[in-house]
Amino acid sequence: MLLTNLKILAVILGTVTLYTVLASAIPQIESEVPQELTLGADFSAEELVAAGEDLYQGAGGCVACHGLGTRAPNLLTDHAGTGLIGARCAARETGKDCKTYLHEALVQPLAYVVEGFGPIMPDMSRTLSDAQIWALVAYLESLGGTVDVTADDVGAGADPAGEAADAPNGAAAAAGGGAIAGGSTDATEIWAAAGCGACHQLGGEGGAVGPALDGLGATRDRAYIRRAILDPAADLAPGFEALGGMMPAAFGQSLSAAQLEALVDLLAEEG
Amino acid sequence: MIRGGGRWRGWAALLGAMALVAVGVALAEPAWAQTAAPAGREYGDFPIVGGRIVVWVSAQIHLMFAAFVLGVPMFAVVAEAIGMFGGEKRYDRLAKEFTRLLLIAYSATAIWGAILSFALVIIYPRFWTHMMEIFEISVWFYLGLFFLESFTLYLYYYGWERWSTGRAKMAHWGMGILLNVWGTAVMFIADSWLSYMMSPAEGVTADTPPGDIGVWSAIVNPTWMPINIHRIIANVVFGGAIVGAYAAFRFLNASTDEERAHYDWMGYVGNIIAIGALIILPFAGYYLGREIYEYNQQMGITMMGGFMSWLWIIQAFLIGVLFLAGNYYLWVGMQRIPGAERFAPYTKWMLLVLVLGVIVWATPHTMIASRSELAAMGGSHHPFLGVLGVMSAKNTAVNLMILTTFLSFLLYRRANKTPVVPWAKTGTRVQGMVFLVSSAVVLFYGIYGYFVPAVQRIGFSVYQVLAVLITIVVVVAIDFAMGRGAESRGAIRWGQMPPRSQYALFVLAVTFTWLMGLMGFARSGIRQHWHIWEVMRDTSEWAATPALGFAAQVITACVLIFLGLIGFIFWLGGLVEKPVLADVRADAGGAVALAGANADPARGQ
Repeated sequence: MLLTNLKILAVILGTVTLYTVLASAIPQIESEVPQELTLGADFSAEELVAAGEDLYQGAGGCVACHGLGTRAPNLLTDHAGTGLIGARCAARETGKDCKTYLHEALVQPLAYVVEGFGPIMPDMSRTLSDAQIWALVAYLESLGGTVDVTADDVGAGADPAGEAADAPNGAAAAAGGGAIAGGSTDATEIWAAAGCGACHQLGGEGGAVGPALDGLGATRDRAYIRRAILDPAADLAPGFEALGGMMPAAFGQSLSAAQLEALVDLLAEEG
Repeated sequence: MIRGGGRWRGWAALLGAMALVAVGVALAEPAWAQTAAPAGREYGDFPIVGGRIVVWVSAQIHLMFAAFVLGVPMFAVVAEAIGMFGGEKRYDRLAKEFTRLLLIAYSATAIWGAILSFALVIIYPRFWTHMMEIFEISVWFYLGLFFLESFTLYLYYYGWERWSTGRAKMAHWGMGILLNVWGTAVMFIADSWLSYMMSPAEGVTADTPPGDIGVWSAIVNPTWMPINIHRIIANVVFGGAIVGAYAAFRFLNASTDEERAHYDWMGYVGNIIAIGALIILPFAGYYLGREIYEYNQQMGITMMGGFMSWLWIIQAFLIGVLFLAGNYYLWVGMQRIPGAERFAPYTKWMLLVLVLGVIVWATPHTMIASRSELAAMGGSHHPFLGVLGVMSAKNTAVNLMILTTFLSFLLYRRANKTPVVPWAKTGTRVQGMVFLVSSAVVLFYGIYGYFVPAVQRIGFSVYQVLAVLITIVVVVAIDFAMGRGAESRGAIRWGQMPPRSQYALFVLAVTFTWLMGLMGFARSGIRQHWHIWEVMRDTSEWAATPALGFAAQVITACVLIFLGLIGFIFWLGGLVEKPVLADVRADAGGAVALAGANADPARGQ
């Protein structure tokens, strides 16, 4: 009986050992967590491209679709005879340079679905910070094109305190900034310093150029408000479509994450 | 008739008390938990292995026990019904023996559920609080159903002898059905929690206060029902495999021919249940996968083509082992069936189909590749493997494997029978034609799939599946009709099974258990660094989803812990009550033919 039970044990251990060895012998790929990009104030284009490539191959998860060319356009090598992405991106949308197109394609992918492919790409700003997205843009530009992403675009890693990493989802998009209102996180000071009241009305005061924000929190959630600040063109209020592009799209760079959240709080609670 | 009644009652009381304590612990915990999460603390820790491993292992082992205690009652009531309505009381005894295994495993399920809950409260307090705010009311329902399930189980088992005849027996069977209803409802509630983590309702964002999320909308999330269906079938598979291993253990350690014959038969039933349910499991898996894609393409791509793409190669290998071991058991088993030798020449061809099928199914296709790797391959796919690795080839392979396995069952069933109906030859030819036509359909769409766009190709799998299902239904119907009054070539010599066949049952059980751990990792891992997909980010030090090698080590640890515990439980079960084999033999009217005996040649199986 002892021998029989030892044989049973050997079969069990042998079977699980086989599976464990097999699973350990294949390529080991870990799903990384996107880390906040920390670049020095005077980073080089090479550093930015290298950071973008790391994201592309790793935590960004880009290669699952864009490395193969079956689910989405091949961005690593020539795609259907149209050349490398860095060389063809400037011609993709009339009036948009390569940098603008690539950035918008990352944060509003459904607006740029390539013919023959499904609308499957997620908005990368939900998982990556703006600095990370710019790094991706730089990397893609480097594939056959010229890298023209600048420190102004990236925000030059102006997040030494790591505020963005502590911010909730979406807030990470505002990786840089903090210059407005001397870095104050008092929402009313930010409102005044950023000049919001010049166009928007809040608490019965302010201009009438843009939509009044009184009562905004009752109809819109915080994610919508945050997106409206970071990407004003994403959702234009009815009746104000003609003014699209008037509101600066640079608050993602000029506000710190904490400032952005303070402003979102103000509009969600008092708006 | 039960031997050693006093000792049995003592053990039963002890086990009952243990189960109640475990249930009590599990019931007390959620209410305590909501106040236990210290404000502001997001993560706890655990020495040496870290918090995530503790949660992972306790969740996995809890699920393994839960699958067993949910799967076994399903075929216990079916076996009881066969015994009750078909007059074969050996099935009634078998049902009771199944339930006896269930009884002790049930307490282990509750204990591991309590461990999991404590681990979550201590290690993930923020996440726990968030979930409780949404699902609070469902937890109370869960607890109520758990009570009902517990007491129904005890009544079902302990009332077996008391309610064994007439209307009382019918009521007892009804209790078995009720046990399944409660168990399934409990599982559905638990599934809603984990499926919500994968696919929170549309409109829920990181900023949505959990208290504002309707509990019903959270429950009926997009992946809830696919997971429910997949788990119901998988539980049957798992339960059958574990029962088969239990029977193999008893068979190998049996000291009498009666015991060997009984456990040989029990192992056969366990294997039939496991492999039979396994055949339909891929369809449920396909449904779940499709719903994941429907919910979120990115999640689906992460699962099938992202960092998890190699996982499916391992899965294909494991399922290949299951098919091979299940068929091998049947082929070896045919050696104890008079008349089966005429089918022996077909075995090597069936083996060939299965091996080729496994090779094709396990061929890598969509892999994450760097620029240098793409350049080395000369394209996005490997020049040769890329052709075999596509879904057209894989669907064809798996459907042919299913047909082959079904053919093995069919030959096993017919091995010792000679049909006497006048249309027997025609019937056999029709069965053969159906097999040929369905194989041709599967092959045709497999090849045609290479010449059409992906969207159209995906639809072909439906035709292939339908061809296989129709074959199973038609062939079984013909076989039943043909088997009426069939002459026997001799009774199955239960117990005359070489030991190597029993080791195949162990391989099946271990592989099913390991596969369950692997699929648990896949389902949970596709959320990546999110506790709740795109709603609550995992900001702990364990947020990165590990590679498969590390996951395999954790899975192996879970499997060994589970098998160790279930082995101990089965040993305990053996102390409680020995099956009354003489009764079983008498009840079966000699159907359990002993080694060397030929009690009733007319009723071989």
